[in-house]
Amino acid sequence: MATYSLANERLRALEDIEREIGAILQNAGTVILELSKEKTNERLLDRQAAAFTASVQHVEAELSAQIRYLTQVATGQPHEGSSYSSRKDCQMALKRVDYARLKLSEVARTCEQMLEN
Amino acid sequence: MAQQRALPQSKETLLQSYNKRLKDDVKSIMDNFTEIIKTAKIEDETQVSRATQGEQDNYEMHVRAANIVRAGESLMKLVSDLKQFLILNDFPSVNEAIDQRNQQLRALQEECDRKLVALRDEVSIDLYELEEEYYSSSSSLCEANDLPLCEAYWRLDLDTDPADGLSAPLLASPEPSAGPLQAAAPAHSHTGGPVPTEHT
Repeated sequence: MATYSLANERLRALEDIEREIGAILQNAGTVILELSKEKTNERLLDRQAAAFTASVQHVEAELSAQIRYLTQVATGQPHEGSSYSSRKDCQMALKRVDYARLKLSEVARTCEQMLEN
Repeated sequence: MAQQRALPQSKETLLQSYNKRLKDDVKSIMDNFTEIIKTAKIEDETQVSRATQGEQDNYEMHVRAANIVRAGESLMKLVSDLKQFLILNDFPSVNEAIDQRNQQLRALQEECDRKLVALRDEVSIDLYELEEEYYSSSSSLCEANDLPLCEAYWRLDLDTDPADGLSAPLLASPEPSAGPLQAAAPAHSHTGGPVPTEHT
């Protein structure tokens, strides 16, 4: 696992873990349901039980790795970076474009009026 | 390389609590699941009657199943807390995200300005033609004294007394190229090129 990968990848990994936790509970339910039947399908039972155990171990390993990474990377300080300045500059550029469009439409309207007259 | 930095007490405690929650929840899931499987085993000899044993096993399985679900829910909460912690404290990726966003916004701004400059160059040519057409046509509503901007501009230059005090330097800029449209002046040959339209 890359140490400095994008946050998106890590967040996606955490979302996968969430889905897997749901799958764990589903597997557990399937196993117990299968056991409750009079005639149990042993192969299905074994398969589901193995999947359950593997999922639990996988989830534990993944979450431990994430916590380990956070222990290495986290400081106590809040992050004070922002993209505000470039966002403001971009906003002003868009305002300039809007203004130019407004003025051009006025000129166009004036020209049309002159042509009608 | 992966050394434990001296984290503040709260952060370290928080991360340790995450570890503990993880271990506890996983243990709870596994233990309760195995106990349910064990309870499902039918025994011939029971201390109480079969019906009572059956009821007891039923209740026990319900409770253990609820424990498994609770532990699963707690794991989901842990994942949510980890996501929040990651977003707030994973500085390398926060820095990278900020840099990317800055680059995107700067690129958009440069593109807007580039297109505006190209538009300005095109429109200045058309405006020159429009103004010439307007002032030379009979539909112009201006009086005889009313001059086009460029004419008025040059006329001011000629009319102004050089001995006049402060008004001359304010009204007549020494550089003709600073004016908005210069093409009315006969000395300029209009080549259809872009005219500087910068207003300071």
